[in-house]
Amino acid sequence: MSYEERKKELGPDDNSERLNINLLRYMWEASPLYFKESYHTYFRNLSIFKSFSDNDIRIFTTYLHRREFEANELIFKYGDSGYGFYFIHSGSVSIQEPNGEEIVNLGEKNFFGELALLEEGHRRPATAVASGPTVLLGVFKPDIDKMLESHPVLGAKFIHEAAMILASKVGYMTKEIMTLRRKIELLEKKN
Amino acid sequence: MKKNQMVKIYLFFAVLISALVFMVYFPRLTLPLGFSYILYLMINPLTSKVLRGNNQQRIIYSLFFTACACLLVIPLVATLYNAETDFKQLLKHIPELRVKLQFKYIQFRELFLDKTGVKLSLDPVTYIMRNVESQGANLLSSIPSLVSSVLEWMLLVPLFLYFFFKESKTLKIKFMEFIPNSIFEKTYVLFSQFNTKFGEYIIAKFIEATILGSLVTLGLMLVGFPYPFILGIIAGVTNILPYVGPIIGFIPALAVALLSQNPDVSLVSVSIIYLIANAVDMVLVFPLLVSKIVNLHPILVVVSVLAGGQIGGAVGMIVVIPMVAFIQLLFKEIYQDLNAQ
Repeated sequence: MSYEERKKELGPDDNSERLNINLLRYMWEASPLYFKESYHTYFRNLSIFKSFSDNDIRIFTTYLHRREFEANELIFKYGDSGYGFYFIHSGSVSIQEPNGEEIVNLGEKNFFGELALLEEGHRRPATAVASGPTVLLGVFKPDIDKMLESHPVLGAKFIHEAAMILASKVGYMTKEIMTLRRKIELLEKKN
Repeated sequence: MKKNQMVKIYLFFAVLISALVFMVYFPRLTLPLGFSYILYLMINPLTSKVLRGNNQQRIIYSLFFTACACLLVIPLVATLYNAETDFKQLLKHIPELRVKLQFKYIQFRELFLDKTGVKLSLDPVTYIMRNVESQGANLLSSIPSLVSSVLEWMLLVPLFLYFFFKESKTLKIKFMEFIPNSIFEKTYVLFSQFNTKFGEYIIAKFIEATILGSLVTLGLMLVGFPYPFILGIIAGVTNILPYVGPIIGFIPALAVALLSQNPDVSLVSVSIIYLIANAVDMVLVFPLLVSKIVNLHPILVVVSVLAGGQIGGAVGMIVVIPMVAFIQLLFKEIYQDLNAQ
């Protein structure tokens, strides 16, 4: 019997055989196969993953390392060899100068350390400390090498995005330097 | 550093040391496990090449690697099969060899007495031949246990290999979760570098030994020299030992050539074959395959291989080079960190 014939037989208002999506969802989430630590939604909302398909994000998340930090725990310090790019999943991170003075406090859905993936022999230019209980999702240089080996298009896309972040930061810094230079020139003229 | 962070570090190292102790005390399990891991490291780079790209590329890559594997495995199996015949022939000739060696040694002792006036009281030939015979007898008596361990390995190695391929990524991420935050980045990067270098080194050495062994076997077969297969294997295996390996590999062929009364067996032709095979290895194979992987000082390589051989035999000789390269990397990292501070 076709779907249309069955629908005619039951009548237009009878929804007894309709698929209950909510029930299915409950059953799926209650099953032991359901992986609760899915980062898909988190990355879908990040601007740098705009050009990534859902499948790209799914593959990318398999390379991630979840790291949990306590309040005031050191993530890395100024001058350390750097190999990781971190996404703040929950909590916040304080980026500090070597003397402990805070430069910026980054909250959820922010990221830091992208230079470590692009520069050979990179040294951390600042210290990062967890401001409170924090969960970071890190991707490291060996992971990127493996990604480029087994998923080259995805790896190239990710490196491209990391380079774009860096380019925008360099652009911002250039503007800042030019403004400061103009200010210094003005001050010199006044004196 | 907070107290619980210190506890995490101590706990991590305690687990690591316990695992190492377990590995040392249960070689029956850890040896096949280690062998499977080495095989996994050797095959894994090839699988990622096969699996990437479209279906057509996958088929081409699969055919290419199957052809390469056949090119490597078929001569290896043929050599091993023929080596058994060579070995049996060699065993038959041992008493004859003993008499010949004894005769040559007596001649040498008399010559030495004439020239120097000193009488040699040592009898190294008897000592060496007695050792060879006792080792042969030991080998024969240990055949049943050897067969049972081979059967055990035949069951365990594919099983471990399957789990390494299926679960290695998940297992690695789970294992990494136990590493304390303060040492995570460095440990992870060093661990990954070691894995890559180790796999590359083992596969490069395996290919190098196969090429050298095949060249020696082919050359000896061409000139009609006896025991070409067993001498080829010896040349390939001893090649693991850098610098002195080729000389050690040449000694059995030299002994056979000196003791043989067959006019077809010429010492000059055998020496030329070994020279050509080692020149091909030194000029082509080693620079293209091995030297790019580990960048160690030649003296350090020789000392490490000798120490590795002393500690872990043939396996120790192979494993020690990437281990030393890793330790060098570790020290470099620590030194750079100290400098940065």
